[in-house]
Amino acid sequence: MEREEVKKRIAEKFGAKVKIAERSPRRVYVYAENEIWVDLARFLFNDLDARFDTGLAVDSRDGVEVMFFFPFDREHYFVTIKTFAAKPNPTLNSISPVIPGAKWIEREMFEMYEVKFRNHPDLRPLLRADNRPADYYAAKREVKDEHETVRQRDDGDARADDVAGRPPKGKNP
Amino acid sequence: MVKKIPIGPFHPILEEPEFFELHVDGERVIGMDMTIGWSHRGIELLSEHKTWDQVPFLVERVCGICSCSHPYAYVKAVEDLCGVEPPLRAQFIRCIVAELERLHSHFLWTGLAGHFLGYNTVFMWTWRFREPILDVLEAVTGNRNHYAVMKPGGVRRDLPQEEIGNVLKLLDTLEKNNDMLTKAIVDDPVIHARTKGVGVFNKAQCRLYGALGPTARSAGYDVDIRRDHPIDAYDKVKFNVILCEHGDVFDKAVVRQLENFESIKIIRQCLKLIEDTKPGDISIEIKEVPPGEGIGAYEAPRGEVFHYVRSNGGNMPMRHKVRAPSFNNILTNELSVLGNTVADAGLITAAVDPCYSCTERVGIVDRRDGTRRVLTEADLVRLSHEKTELIRKRFAEGGGNR
Repeated sequence: MEREEVKKRIAEKFGAKVKIAERSPRRVYVYAENEIWVDLARFLFNDLDARFDTGLAVDSRDGVEVMFFFPFDREHYFVTIKTFAAKPNPTLNSISPVIPGAKWIEREMFEMYEVKFRNHPDLRPLLRADNRPADYYAAKREVKDEHETVRQRDDGDARADDVAGRPPKGKNP
Repeated sequence: MVKKIPIGPFHPILEEPEFFELHVDGERVIGMDMTIGWSHRGIELLSEHKTWDQVPFLVERVCGICSCSHPYAYVKAVEDLCGVEPPLRAQFIRCIVAELERLHSHFLWTGLAGHFLGYNTVFMWTWRFREPILDVLEAVTGNRNHYAVMKPGGVRRDLPQEEIGNVLKLLDTLEKNNDMLTKAIVDDPVIHARTKGVGVFNKAQCRLYGALGPTARSAGYDVDIRRDHPIDAYDKVKFNVILCEHGDVFDKAVVRQLENFESIKIIRQCLKLIEDTKPGDISIEIKEVPPGEGIGAYEAPRGEVFHYVRSNGGNMPMRHKVRAPSFNNILTNELSVLGNTVADAGLITAAVDPCYSCTERVGIVDRRDGTRRVLTEADLVRLSHEKTELIRKRFAEGGGNR
């Protein structure tokens, strides 16, 4: 499905709850509110026939930015959907019941960043050694800050947000 | 009676540890649980402490076999972020090295599959065919593996003019060898009996699980990043995406064998087109990486490698995400082993060409009386070999595959 058509249909269905940005002809970004997060993934995967690729989390002081990638292969572009899970206790609905392929990546985000995915079929840590304490989230900013004295991790965060057209940290559109 | 059989976390043939717990009823597998992360190296965090130019050396160590694919996806992510394209000559060199890597990786898998089945002749022959590819890679890049050829903005080393003839000679030999090997595999009735209908993962399941590479294409799920999101020289060469339809172990082998021909085709075209480019023009300088984010995807031998980088304008990535294709493909095992026998389980888990490692231990827990029995990796391979022998005998007696 063509890029403009996809953007139009997402805007029609979700209205003000999403903000759509385009950085290049091959990259479309959709910033979504938490409550429509799963519906948006379902819409892209089931109705618009996008392929599910993977996801990732980026930690910040106020919360965790979670994103999933849905490529449209025939038309050669990626749609990235993003949302923001605020701290403390970043929590999101899981997309695994809709897309089983997301099971492991959500487990990884939970384990590394303490993002709790509601309705996940099996939210166990994925990579952690058995002897790691259950409440140790290795990639969390707080944990990193404890061990890191080399540089300030938030140097230029706001500048990066501004250039990439992202909403300010802690706020969804 | 339901038993649990753990496979792993270490395996003598492959590279990285994983742990499979098979739930069996008699000989039939009725469930599976997997644990990964046995050699978690913290690559993403390490990467956030290296400069943009140092990261390719780190990510090519994510996987020894895909040591071109990971840096390739990474440099594409950085170039996506910076909005630059490398010079034409660099694009061709990247494709040549990447396709040579695909050839040696596919040969490696075929050899291992042969060993699993009890066809050690296949194992020996593929190793023999694979060796000259590594020699050529050494001549072209300086290393048999970990080529260190990729850098943001181009490549680090030009293709020596005198090596072009050697690469072409290799391709001629390789084409004949691959042809012989493909026919040997496709025509062998025992291989048919051992691999057809085994470990089936269908097209709809591939879509739901995000399966990639030959695992997906063997089931007819048509995804190939080289064609779908063409980078560098891939839109300047012609090649076919190989598709099968059954999604079993046999089709996975066929896809890989036929893809070797396509790789040979791509390298030949690149070697021809590179003659029109200027020697030495292999890189552009990236002085500053702007704030923002970039995505890089490349079709590694096992499927799509995905890299994401975010920059805050500094000299190191602020966030770097690496997603290898095995991360998606290994998850498919939880469905593809169902209904198969324990003797086939090792073959099925190996059929997605995962990276796993060095020793395998197999334990059987009898749930009824709690007794435990530990088998070695050799026992599991023996089980597989015995099944092949049994089928061979049946064929010899004129019984065919029952």
